[in-house]
Amino acid sequence: VTAPTATARRPVAPTASSTAPGARLQAVACCAPLGAPTLSDDEAVATAELFKALGDPARVRALNILSTTDAPVCICNLVEPLGLSQPTVSHHMKKLLDAGLVDREQRGKWAYFSLQRAAVEKLAAVADLKGDAR
Amino acid sequence: MRVNIGAMKAIATVAASCPPLLARPLDAAEASQLAAALKVLAEPARLRLLGLIQAQPGNEACVCHLTDPLGLSQPTVSHHLKVLLEAGLVERDKRGSWAYYRVLPGPLAALREVPGGPDPAATRAA
Repeated sequence: VTAPTATARRPVAPTASSTAPGARLQAVACCAPLGAPTLSDDEAVATAELFKALGDPARVRALNILSTTDAPVCICNLVEPLGLSQPTVSHHMKKLLDAGLVDREQRGKWAYFSLQRAAVEKLAAVADLKGDAR
Repeated sequence: MRVNIGAMKAIATVAASCPPLLARPLDAAEASQLAAALKVLAEPARLRLLGLIQAQPGNEACVCHLTDPLGLSQPTVSHHLKVLLEAGLVERDKRGSWAYYRVLPGPLAALREVPGGPDPAATRAA
């Protein structure tokens, strides 16, 4: 197994195998503010799924690294800061991807991840305690 | 049932200092702290409880107001409230024979803080 290093971040043209955007979808309009007077069962379930994706230290750190880095981050550069094996990091990134919190782009042999901007707004909206009562 | 106010305050303090998720780099300990609070939120009944408490007059509620809307038994509601209390997501105030719960903003505020400061327009539009 080749040791993933920062030098792996060489310019490589994206291949046709790049993930199609929009492949993931949120079935329910997730994320009514928690402060909304009536949080429906469906909304609560969808929002709980979002928090489930975040309820893990490695995923919190991964999302935090993406958030505080300007450019998309190669998965090879997440292995060391997270202190986990690459398969484990891949597993965590898939959870974040499925939750719609990050975007994935295949560049050559490496996947690059970035924070999905809509996710930032989603999280902020969910954590809105004032809700409609404002 | 006696409530240990000191322990409660300590828990609340920890939660109030929950580091922001996206605004600045986190170390491993901060990430664990935040993940623990978020894990507690990964349960639909607890999310609905927070919403219900927040929707009550004065933004506080006693268990007696929370069982019917959720269709859950009082022991189940009390269990969820205990988990929320221990995670610092709510605070509790004993009055007579009832305990009143109030939502604490700490861990939730940690989600709202984003790089470059909050974007209220984007939040409102969402």
